[in-house]
Amino acid sequence: MSMSNEDRLIKRDRMRYIKNKSSANLAYLAILLDVIYFVSIYQSDVETWYYRWIIGISIVYNLIFMLAAFLSSEGVKNYQKNYTFVELALGVIQFVRIFILPVPAYNATLTVGDVTIQIMHSAQFTLCVVCLIASGVCLIVSGVINYIKCNELAAHMKSLENQNA
Amino acid sequence: MATLSLQHIDKIYDNNVQAVFDFNLDVKDGELIVLVGPSGCGKSTTLRMVAGLEDISNGHLFLDGKDITQTPAKDRDMAMVFQSYALYGHMTIYENMAFSLTLRKEDPNVIHKKVLAAAEILGLTSQLNKKPAQLSGGQRQRVAMGRSIVRNPKVFLFDEPLSNLDAKLRGATRREILLLHKRLQATMLYVTHDQTEALTLADRIVCMSMGHVQQVGTPLELYDSPNNVFVASFIGLPPMNFYDVKVVGGELQGNGFKAVLTPEEKAVLAGYEGKEITLGVRPENFTEGSDIKVTVTNNENLGMNTLVYGSVGNTGVKVTAKLKGWKNYKVGDTASFSITRKHFFDKETTNAIRGGK
Repeated sequence: MSMSNEDRLIKRDRMRYIKNKSSANLAYLAILLDVIYFVSIYQSDVETWYYRWIIGISIVYNLIFMLAAFLSSEGVKNYQKNYTFVELALGVIQFVRIFILPVPAYNATLTVGDVTIQIMHSAQFTLCVVCLIASGVCLIVSGVINYIKCNELAAHMKSLENQNA
Repeated sequence: MATLSLQHIDKIYDNNVQAVFDFNLDVKDGELIVLVGPSGCGKSTTLRMVAGLEDISNGHLFLDGKDITQTPAKDRDMAMVFQSYALYGHMTIYENMAFSLTLRKEDPNVIHKKVLAAAEILGLTSQLNKKPAQLSGGQRQRVAMGRSIVRNPKVFLFDEPLSNLDAKLRGATRREILLLHKRLQATMLYVTHDQTEALTLADRIVCMSMGHVQQVGTPLELYDSPNNVFVASFIGLPPMNFYDVKVVGGELQGNGFKAVLTPEEKAVLAGYEGKEITLGVRPENFTEGSDIKVTVTNNENLGMNTLVYGSVGNTGVKVTAKLKGWKNYKVGDTASFSITRKHFFDKETTNAIRGGK
């Protein structure tokens, strides 16, 4: 159904009073997916493979990620354009993270006696990758929506200022 | 808007306490009716029955001629404004005002238009992004009213909406409600225990006591021709003075004073010759004169008027007089007053004596 000009104008005007919940909710979802990833990534029968410097960095980054993503969600909720770029960066890093831990863990094997054990099973790998991809997509979409809405709101506010002038 | 008719309505609680007795009222379209009375008189209960928040024990309630006695509150198309505002603290003013429409899944653009229109009427446009905690009491009450306005209900119900406000704000918000009523031309039922609100707001007042309707009428009717001692004492500030007097010949004989009756007053009291009645005199119906000698106990200057408190001679019969202008009576002075207007009440029934009327 096509939207009339008046409807479009009212929809824009609503942004003055209604928060950008869609972007904020997507950012929350990204955090949730990251938590699922983080909780499931270290689940392994082979205990020593992960015990490297990477585990510390991974934990610290997850804390930073959650904080940054939460701040971004609050920022985009209030139509702050700068948080778009934070979300895009966080989203891209989520894709990169696939190749830092899940892929090496999936490819790694450990030989105990004459038995070769795969560090990460397919199902666990799939879950981790899906969570990271979905989390990254949520953040990027959230950022894009926020960017578009911020521009629309800015233009609307400018037109209102011009009307009042 | 709408007409409302309350017919023989009773409210009896489960413990057999009856809060409202045989309440009858027809509210015209666009009328502002104020239910007034002391705490516990049943006025809020009546309002809650109209809103559907309390069951009606007996009787019928009609909205636009349709019996809605058993209709649930949500389907009555009435909006209620509470004393406590009942705003959601975590929502902005805009969200609070839009909330009921959002629940009804109305189109967001329509909601937006209605909220902005209501905010414009109430002068809240610049406050829409704030939270209730950031607003003053008066503004919060306006938000509560705005929440009602956006619904465009058939009837507005106000349950002591100004009681939480300080005196100055109460006056200002009262005027806003009056303007709102004039602008919306809406049917409104307003409950208050404050007679000033009742007198200033109402098209008609329903004065209640102990669950019974004492009088229904315009503010002037209640002030000028009270039905009984209760209405006479409740309406008017300071309250009316009451004296036990005996009708003897052409005059009233009270404890320590006499008052001459006019021919019209004599006619009204024709059947009471030699009997005791209650004489009511409003403080503003005393003037400096010669009928009653009063020993002054207090003198309060209010600028335009002076309130003089005293007792008749040494009898202990109290007098409160509201005299025009600035007076300087000292405690113990003797002041002489005349009565310009008298109200008569039957001593047994406490009903007004109106002669042949």
